[in-house]
Amino acid sequence: MQEATFLILTALAGGSQHGYGIITDVERISDQRVRLRAGTLYTALERLRVDGLIEVDREEIVDSRLRRYYRLTATGQECLAAEAARLQAHAVIAISRLGPVGAR
Amino acid sequence: MNDDPELERRYRRLLAAYPAAFRREYGQEILSVLMAGAEQGQRWPRLAEAADLLRSATLTRLRTRWRTSWAWEYRHRRVMVPIRVLSGIWLVALTAILYGYGVGGWWAVLLVPAAAAHFYAAYRSLRRRV
Repeated sequence: MQEATFLILTALAGGSQHGYGIITDVERISDQRVRLRAGTLYTALERLRVDGLIEVDREEIVDSRLRRYYRLTATGQECLAAEAARLQAHAVIAISRLGPVGAR
Repeated sequence: MNDDPELERRYRRLLAAYPAAFRREYGQEILSVLMAGAEQGQRWPRLAEAADLLRSATLTRLRTRWRTSWAWEYRHRRVMVPIRVLSGIWLVALTAILYGYGVGGWWAVLLVPAAAAHFYAAYRSLRRRV
């Protein structure tokens, strides 16, 4: 799973969000390191929808602009949980092998 | 946040790079995201942003084409699977014959991947993966 995909799913794990909401949330989650661009975001969202990991929650019109909210599906939750567990397992090993240096 | 109609028109022109079906589904939404992310007083799309849109549009076009060809292959699997298998066998046999007669040049190496591609297409249709 690519980092952008992982971060998008993580953003949606806290509840449904619209496109721009996902961008700002991913920025927050990644500590300002990842700022998704619109093109990248929608390529990812479309693929995640086709793969059944996310679905449309609802649509709103705010200031005559379309906002579509996305949420995780059950499959999406399972995928994210599996990926998070995998990353955590790797991180734990990396930190323990680095010893005191990694624990900083 | 920005509401400059000029900027919006420029963004729309970039969005034209996407396939029509994708634009119908996501065009309005992407535009909202772009306008929400634009600086106050910004009149032109940023270069990195434009490059990202064009890259994403190209990727979407390739992916759509890839998906529709596999869907076609799968829909016609009753005809296509035998054709793929026979073509694959024929190409392997041809390679063997050419080498047997000592006329297998470096180009004959291309026949094996071609045969493998035919077999893979048949295998994919049989596994019901579209």
